[in-house]
Amino acid sequence: MQVLTKKKLIAALIVFSILGGFLLLYSFNPSTNTFFLPCPFHHLTGLNCPGCGSQRALHHLFHLEFLTAFKYNPLMVLTMPLVIYALGVTFYNFIFGTNHRLKLFYNNWFIWGFLIITVIFWILRNVPYFPFNLLAPT
Amino acid sequence: MDNFNNPPITNPPGGAPPENYLVWSILATIFCCIPLGIVAIIKSTKVNELWNLGDQMGALKASADAKKWTIYAAIIGPIFTIIMWVVIMFFGFAGALFDAGSY
Repeated sequence: MQVLTKKKLIAALIVFSILGGFLLLYSFNPSTNTFFLPCPFHHLTGLNCPGCGSQRALHHLFHLEFLTAFKYNPLMVLTMPLVIYALGVTFYNFIFGTNHRLKLFYNNWFIWGFLIITVIFWILRNVPYFPFNLLAPT
Repeated sequence: MDNFNNPPITNPPGGAPPENYLVWSILATIFCCIPLGIVAIIKSTKVNELWNLGDQMGALKASADAKKWTIYAAIIGPIFTIIMWVVIMFFGFAGALFDAGSY
């Protein structure tokens, strides 16, 4: 019984933080509001990391402006449907105590592929020449 | 996790491998705190590798490792970001460095 209530509490907390994050990112554009946390990597080095532009991209995704979001962070936008699906499976497992597994995530070819794509994306979006500069969030 | 309280000696065909927490390491990776996310992703591949070799204990240990690193990524990333933020504010670089909340 105690385990159940703890689970419910955590589940509620997760749902509320997702809702909160959604409302915050929906209501305020990170490009024009300064209270959003900046990427420390970008601030220290001036370079773009694979996650740079994700907050701004999410803001535009929530407003259904897919192309603008894609320009800010194509990798994040492309990965998002998969991540949402995987989070759904994880959440389902957590609530119902099941052991469903996403086949793709248990395939090492996929994982190494994702890692390599991420690293290449990281390097290319810091190349200041056309067409690579299109990958940088501006 | 119910299946893992009594792990059988051999790897049952079709049994669920231990959680590899890949979705969390991907999240950490596409929303910054990159180096820790990458360690977590590599730990995730270990889970699959050991499980496929039939090494249940190894896979469970790798699973615990993957969890540990995703938690590190999830905690250290934001803490580091907040410290950076406070430092930037404190030194009054807000105007110069704080280019409109770029992430």
